[in-house]
Formats: sequence, structure tokens, C-alpha cells
Amino acid sequence: MRFNLTTSFSWRRWLAVLLLSVSVAASPQDKTFAADVIVSPSLSEIALDRSLLRAVFTMRVREWPDGTPVRVFVLPDDNPLSDVFYRERLGMYSYVLRRAWDRMVFTGTGLAPTVVGSEKEMIERVRSTPGAIGFVRKRESSESRYERPRTLLVMLTKGQ
Amino acid sequence: MTDRLHKPGAPRRCVRLSAALAAICFSAAAGAIEYQVHGYAAQGFVLSSDNDFFGDSTEGSFDYYEAGINAAVQLGPQLLFSAQGAVRDAGISDDGTVRIDYALADYRLVADESIQAGLRAGKVKNALGFYNETRDVVFTRPSILLPTVYSDNQNQRSLIFTSPGAQMYAGLVTGAHEWSFTGTLNAERDVRKSDERLLVMLSAPFDLRIGDSWNVQLMDSIDGGRWQLAYSHFSGQFRLKTAPEISLAGRFDVDLDVFSARYNAERFTVTAEYVVIGNEILLTFGGIPVVRTDVRADSGYLQAEYRVDPRWSVMARMDSFYRDRNDRNGRRFAAANPGADRRSQVSHDFTVGINWRPDEHWGVWAEHHWINGTATLQSLENPPPVREQRWRMFMLMAGYKF
Repeated sequence: MRFNLTTSFSWRRWLAVLLLSVSVAASPQDKTFAADVIVSPSLSEIALDRSLLRAVFTMRVREWPDGTPVRVFVLPDDNPLSDVFYRERLGMYSYVLRRAWDRMVFTGTGLAPTVVGSEKEMIERVRSTPGAIGFVRKRESSESRYERPRTLLVMLTKGQ
Repeated sequence: MTDRLHKPGAPRRCVRLSAALAAICFSAAAGAIEYQVHGYAAQGFVLSSDNDFFGDSTEGSFDYYEAGINAAVQLGPQLLFSAQGAVRDAGISDDGTVRIDYALADYRLVADESIQAGLRAGKVKNALGFYNETRDVVFTRPSILLPTVYSDNQNQRSLIFTSPGAQMYAGLVTGAHEWSFTGTLNAERDVRKSDERLLVMLSAPFDLRIGDSWNVQLMDSIDGGRWQLAYSHFSGQFRLKTAPEISLAGRFDVDLDVFSARYNAERFTVTAEYVVIGNEILLTFGGIPVVRTDVRADSGYLQAEYRVDPRWSVMARMDSFYRDRNDRNGRRFAAANPGADRRSQVSHDFTVGINWRPDEHWGVWAEHHWINGTATLQSLENPPPVREQRWRMFMLMAGYKF
């Protein structure tokens, strides 16, 4: 097999393919591609460790300690960010979570998370829904400014 | 408008009372009400050599589909109502009639981060092995056809699948272990006519009911589901009755013990399950026992799934089923039944399959089975003598879920 890499167009194309494969194969070691939890402003004081995050995203808990109903928002399973978030923060694979959600949905034993189409929609829905939790791509600026903050990136939406 | 159409009286008071109750209920849970509607539909195609499976498959059968729609309403963190209506057609073994798959109320007693417990009542799904509860939703199966542990073309699915009853569930997190328990008590229930003919072949009219049954499952999910280990037990019985002048009665006790193990890695999943099925049959004529048998069947499989990328996955499985675990080569059966083929007592199925999920809603599956033995065939679809003991089957399925 021979590749023609003589034109700049080809280089750009191969660079795009390379970036795509990096994002698909993003692993916990990827410092440039990480996910942050976002929650409703009212939940800013809750410490979300792995154990609680697992309980929330597997839909085992239905209310927060303050009594607010839990509302979980996720991105489509094939979004690379979903994969990174579930692995980094929950220590789970997205297909294992999907299996648990499908089991609940098709046995009538629980509600599945709400799937949103984009990170923009995720932010809007989490901001406007009490008790909401979701995740977004960690911004590069926050990476350098806060040195991978251990606390949550909480969206402050006092207007709500 | 409505008032003018109705005469004053009990019905209207009833409506008002219901409305008032609903208002109280809804206002109590104001802001906490959430509902979801989901559904699935899939059409299959079966092409087989020699023997028929799910319809006239030697000619190519489309007599295999499944569909369902469900709704769940959560009234606050404690209370959930849900129901699913479903249809399934699978050759002679299912007839496509609409049925209530489940309809239940779920009350959560304890809902903590590390411990949960609750009760369900209504028509509930029975937890048995990894796949029984959602066995008719192809998106939740590892392949189009479930392994023989689940008796997909056999007759015990009506016994174990779903049933009216009460269920208790609990979950406990201890370190890396997430324990879950489900225990179900099923009420006595009737067997559909279309299922009766698969279970009992009798020229006289008869009625078949499922007596009280119960089942439990204990599962340990380790390290975020990397390892999943489960033990499930089901105990139930069929009761046969005929008219008093015939005075033939029967009792068929069925006990299942299922051992399940699964390892989930990033790209691959390895699953193994093994079931021992105790079949105890007692037939009486005029109150006097005429037939008494106690046979233990067993079945097991080893399965590997590999996710090539988020859209494509492949699988391979070795699956074996024995009608009598004390007569694995079927020779004793053949000696007792002259002319019968001993391989009608076993089935060895080697399967390879591929799955394509272009997006979160659609899925397409294809798989090929190499089968030795005819124990999984329906005799109504394959009248004796069985045509061939070594046969092959190709299956296709396309589905949509939301």
C-alpha cells in the first residue's frame, strides 16, 4: 500500500484523521482530553466522589441528600467524551452503563439518563434543571489555571 | 361541555374523586414527577439447512419479530409506575399476540448511596441469569438467538419470563463490590393456549396452569462491572387438569439453578453461564400415579464479544444443551425408545455473529450457527422423524429502539 503525502491537502487530511483517532482512542492518560462534572448550582456543596458518581450515573440513587430529585444528563454513547468521562470519573465502560440503563428501561425498574445532543445543550439543560448533573469537556484554560482541580467545576447560575 | 353530556350520579362523582386524588398525589410530588416513554422493534430473518427453526426457515422465514413500547412515571424519589406492552412472533413458539410484558409499582424503601432496597408489585420480570429479564429486546442480547440456557425455542420461557407477583430488591456497596439481590414470589397463572400445545401433547381437552413459583438472584458486580458474578434460582410447577370423565392429572415441577460469570474489558467481554434444570413429572390417572420421572437437563456456554469500534462488534460462542445430564450421549434414551435418534437429546451450537450500530437507535445483527443435535427444535415445526442431526442456520435481524 502506498500513500501520497506530497500535497499540503493530503497532509491536512492525514492530520485530521490522526486527530480523530486520538480523540476516539482517548485514554485516562490523555492530559489534553478530560471531562468535568457539572451540576446544578444548588448542588455545589456536595462532594462527588467516585462512589457517589457511580451510584448517580447507574441511577441507583434517585434523590440528593437535600431531597432534590436526581436528574442525569449524558451525551450519546458514541461521543468520545462519554467514554472518557465514564472511564476517568466512574471507572466504568460506557457499554456496561448502557447495559444497566437498558435493563432498567426494558424491565420498568427505573428511568434512563436523558441523552442530549451536544455539550452546549448539556450545559443549558443542567443549568436550567434543579438537581441536574452532567459532564463537559474540560477546558484547556481550566487545566492550566486550576492545575486539574480536584473540586467540581460548578456552574454558577445565580439567575436561575 | 362534559357535564352536559353526563347525567348527575355516581360516575361523575367517581371522576371528581379520581381527579381530586390525582391532584393531591401530583401536588404532593410537584416538581418531582418525571416520565419516559421507550420502545423497540426488530424484524428477523432465518435461513436454515434441513430443519425448521422459527418458521419455515429452510425456505427462508420472516416469521420472527419483536416489538414493545413502555412508559415509566416517577412520582418523587420513592414511587415509580411502569408498564410495557409487547408482541413477539417466533415460528410455532410464539404467535405475535399483544401482551402486557410488565406492569408494576416500585416503592423504594431505602435509597442511600451505598444501600438501596425496595418492593415491586404487579406483573414483574424474573431475574434469571444475565439476559432473562430483557430477553425479547435484541439490543440487550449478545446475539440474535440467546444461548440454550434461556430455552429460546423451547417451552419454559412462559414459566420463567414474566409473571404477576411481588418482588423485593436490594443493593449494597462494600468496597469494590456492588451486591444486588432480587427475590420474587409469583402468583398462580394460566398458560396461554398457544403455549399449552408446545408443553403438552394430549388429544383430550386439557387446562394447564402455572402454580405458585418463586425465584431469587444474587449478583456481585466488582470494580464498576469489570467482573459480574451471579447465582439465580427458579422454582415453579405446571399443573395439568382434564375433564372429570378423563381424570388424567399431572404435575411438572421445574427447578433451575443458573450460575453466571462475565468479564468486561475495554474491547472484549467474556461470558459463561451454566444451568441445571430439574424436571420432575408426575402423571396420575384416577388419582393413581401412572408416570413418575425425574430428569435433570443442563446447558452451558462460553461466549466472547469483541468491540472493534463503537459501531461494530463481533461475537463467537460455544453452546451445549443436554436433555438428560446423566445420559449425555443419548444412548440410554435411544435404547428405551427404539427408532429414536440419540442426538435428539443434545444440541451443540457453535455461533459467530456481527453487530452494526450506526447510531444509538438502529442496530443490525447477522450470525451463523453450526449445530449438531436437534434438542432445540420444536417437534410441531419438525414432525418426526427429524430430517438431519447436523444442520446450519443463518440469522439476520434489524431493529430500532428509542
